[in-house]
Amino acid sequence: MRRPLLGSLALAWLALGPGPAAAAAAPSLTVFAAADLAFAFKDIAPRFENATGARVTLVFGSTGNFAHQIRQGGPADVFFAADRSFVDALVAERVLLRETRTLYARGRIVLATATAFGPKLTELRSLLDSRIRHVAIANPAHAPYGRAAEEALRKAGVWEAVRPKLVYGENVRHTLQFMQTGAVDAAIIALSIASVPEVEWVLIDPGLHAPLDQAAAVTRRSPRPELGLAFIQFVNGPEGRPIMKRHGFLLPGEF
Amino acid sequence: MDLFPVWLSLRVSLTATALTLVAGVPLAWLLARRRFPGRNLLEAAVVLPLVLPPTVLGYYLLVAVGSRGPVGRALAAVGLELAFTWGAAVLAACVGSIALVIKSAQAGFETVDQQLEQAARTLGRSEWSVFWRVTLPLAWRSVLAGTVLAFCRALGEFGITLMVAGNIPGRTQTLPLAIYDRVQAAEMGEANALALIAVGIVVVLLFGLSRLARLRY
Repeated sequence: MRRPLLGSLALAWLALGPGPAAAAAAPSLTVFAAADLAFAFKDIAPRFENATGARVTLVFGSTGNFAHQIRQGGPADVFFAADRSFVDALVAERVLLRETRTLYARGRIVLATATAFGPKLTELRSLLDSRIRHVAIANPAHAPYGRAAEEALRKAGVWEAVRPKLVYGENVRHTLQFMQTGAVDAAIIALSIASVPEVEWVLIDPGLHAPLDQAAAVTRRSPRPELGLAFIQFVNGPEGRPIMKRHGFLLPGEF
Repeated sequence: MDLFPVWLSLRVSLTATALTLVAGVPLAWLLARRRFPGRNLLEAAVVLPLVLPPTVLGYYLLVAVGSRGPVGRALAAVGLELAFTWGAAVLAACVGSIALVIKSAQAGFETVDQQLEQAARTLGRSEWSVFWRVTLPLAWRSVLAGTVLAFCRALGEFGITLMVAGNIPGRTQTLPLAIYDRVQAAEMGEANALALIAVGIVVVLLFGLSRLARLRY
């Protein structure tokens, strides 16, 4: 009785066959990268592709999620974490190659004000202003930039007072989105993603939080570790460094 | 614009819907028609995927089917890899949607008058034949409704897929993951286009099904 339906479903399934299989065949370097690298890596990856002829697949997301996935055999060749502790843990578990572990940047956090809100905030204390209703930070429980934001707020002595206003983003890009949609008046986000039209920002004193040292490494399961290492070196090299710098990262040798 | 996520999502959600039908309808019949020890437990277990947060469920699944997990190791022994493939996206879609098939079909089977099934038995029909000739034809609307819900849920599956299949462009990036990625990258034009396609698929499907239903009955 339901044969025409089943028949059309089966036909549809067959018709869809070649798509996924064909795309999976092309070889590429798969890079799992922390969300704060999104803008910088979209500039860097095409240059690396031109220089080497390799195809780079960028996957952006939460450093914590990526660590779980790589531990379970996730198909990454290279892992760029927003915090070195995740890379060091995976190196200790022999999932990442120790000899490829490289510090590639130190992150900075900024106090961002929505341009729609009005006057630009210049210090953490001004978050106490009653006109500021919501303040977004990345979730301090698992996002490195959120942890730095919490530390800075505590050191500035305003954590308890600001806490009722806090909204947590899943990662730092999600936190930026709260500002871009006008849902929050202010936020603490990464300098690397803060240069968007909806946002004005000032740097937060790096002395207020533990350094956001970011590390990368090649995975043990990668069939082309030399290509992965080449990508890390490219990011750290003469082509990558100016781009990373432009996107607000402090670079190895500068901190 | 890269349409790969559209094809992948169609393939994943069609496969998942077929699998959930094959596994879900017998389970629904069992829950509706049989009393056995552990029945209540099974009934609760069936809806668990709707209760747990998808990313948490995805994490558990990943631990099971990942390269260090028990299922993952068993599969690797026979040369198969499930985690981070399109098969993992199918698994995610099945887990997320099977409860909808089971609960709808179960409710449908329960409303079928058991005297009609008895009558068929007195006329010498086997249990198999009673199911196909009496129970299913009388409950087919519920089964179809559950199937449509499951397909839509499978097409929209996000959290479980993100964990077990990853969000790898050109390999496991399904339509919802692609939309999320574009929104995150502030590429709203592409995000809107992909979202429209997702809505379009469901509208066409529902329209087609309702036409089909009226045509046949």
